[in-house]
Amino acid sequence: VLHTTRPLHTTLQRLAPLPPLPEKGGEVRYGLIPEEFFQFLYPKTGVTGPYMLGTGLLLYFLSKEIYVINHETVAAACILSVIIYGVKKYGSDVAAFADKLNEEKIAKALAVKNEAIKDLEAAIEQEKKEQWRAEGHTYLFDAKRNNIVMLLETNYRERLLTVYNEVKKRLDYQVAMQNLKRQKEQDHMIQWVEKNVVQSITPQQQKESIAKCILDLKALSKSAQAAV
Amino acid sequence: MSLSFFDQFTSPCLLGIPLILLSMLFPALLLPSQSNRWVNNRLSTLQSWFLHLITKQLMIPLNKKGHKWALILTSLMMLLLTINLLGLLPYTFTPTTQLSMNMAFALPLWLATLLTGLRNQPSISLGHLLPEGTPTLLIPALIMIETTSLLIRPLALGVRLTANLTAGHLLIQLISTATTALLPIMPAASALTTLILLLLTILELAVAMIQAYVFVLLLSLYLQENI
Repeated sequence: VLHTTRPLHTTLQRLAPLPPLPEKGGEVRYGLIPEEFFQFLYPKTGVTGPYMLGTGLLLYFLSKEIYVINHETVAAACILSVIIYGVKKYGSDVAAFADKLNEEKIAKALAVKNEAIKDLEAAIEQEKKEQWRAEGHTYLFDAKRNNIVMLLETNYRERLLTVYNEVKKRLDYQVAMQNLKRQKEQDHMIQWVEKNVVQSITPQQQKESIAKCILDLKALSKSAQAAV
Repeated sequence: MSLSFFDQFTSPCLLGIPLILLSMLFPALLLPSQSNRWVNNRLSTLQSWFLHLITKQLMIPLNKKGHKWALILTSLMMLLLTINLLGLLPYTFTPTTQLSMNMAFALPLWLATLLTGLRNQPSISLGHLLPEGTPTLLIPALIMIETTSLLIRPLALGVRLTANLTAGHLLIQLISTATTALLPIMPAASALTTLILLLLTILELAVAMIQAYVFVLLLSLYLQENI
């Protein structure tokens, strides 16, 4: 289309957005003759005007044999009846089918848009969840910090314990050494005393002590009664 | 005017100006042209749906190289369909009843498929002349037969379309003449003949659509063999 040669004010002013298509087509009567024709003749001839004109024209053509009834007329009647039958029976279905095709086209595009919106909303939800998670990180870090401090404390106390034990071991050793030394000295002295005492026991003294023991025993046996 | 049976097949002429070109181009005026809208009116939507259907049907059996033929085959289909269907209206001239026009469609297109096959894959193309599994003795005879059948294809394509449409139109004329002639004599017989005429009209509608489809389908089949 050569846009420079169009009538300036009566044609389409811009190419986008296009004006919307009309909802319904032009009104027609008997499928052929537009309503505007009837409205045009109405002021002068009333409601029956166009019909009188049609009938008059038809009769004129027939009587003057401008239109001759021949075999084509019969053929015309047949094909026209078939066409009119077809249109009346299947017209609305075909129109509904065409509308369905358009609806599907629009629905597909809308589906893409809605899908995109849904995905973006889900992404927003995810993002919000991530932000909430990020807030929780402070608590996480505090807990971890506490853990580490506790570990350090435990380690320190363990080491203190180790030190204490080591020191105690050293001191115990010293105590044990002293005890051992004292014990050894005591034992040695007791042994020496015993040895000397045993050496100093003469045979005479031995016989005297044995006789004394026997006398003591006899005396005790007199006083004690054996239990039966 | 008094019409003989063959007046409908004469090339139209007005005041000495031949109107044949106009009658061939007129059907294109009836189809909606493409608009720059995304959502069209019902007629445009139905037309695009129909064109999509035809193209899909024709192009599925073809390989990628054959898809170059999509435009010519689909537009040929639409032309033949509209010409045939418009010819059923009274007092209309049907260009496809002329053998000259149908041969002008059939011969160049068939020759194009043949030459494409011979140029790109000559041995496969010639190999189509011998069906698989023929007994050895029959080979020479079969090659002659297949060659004849190959060479007669354009003639068959053109004459099939012409004959179907011409015969149909002529039958309509004859039966409607019988109806008109019987009407004053025996109205009952006339009514019966009208019934026959109705059935014939429905048949002719079907034939018009089928013949267009068959023409294009056969061309696509010849293309499949050769591309």
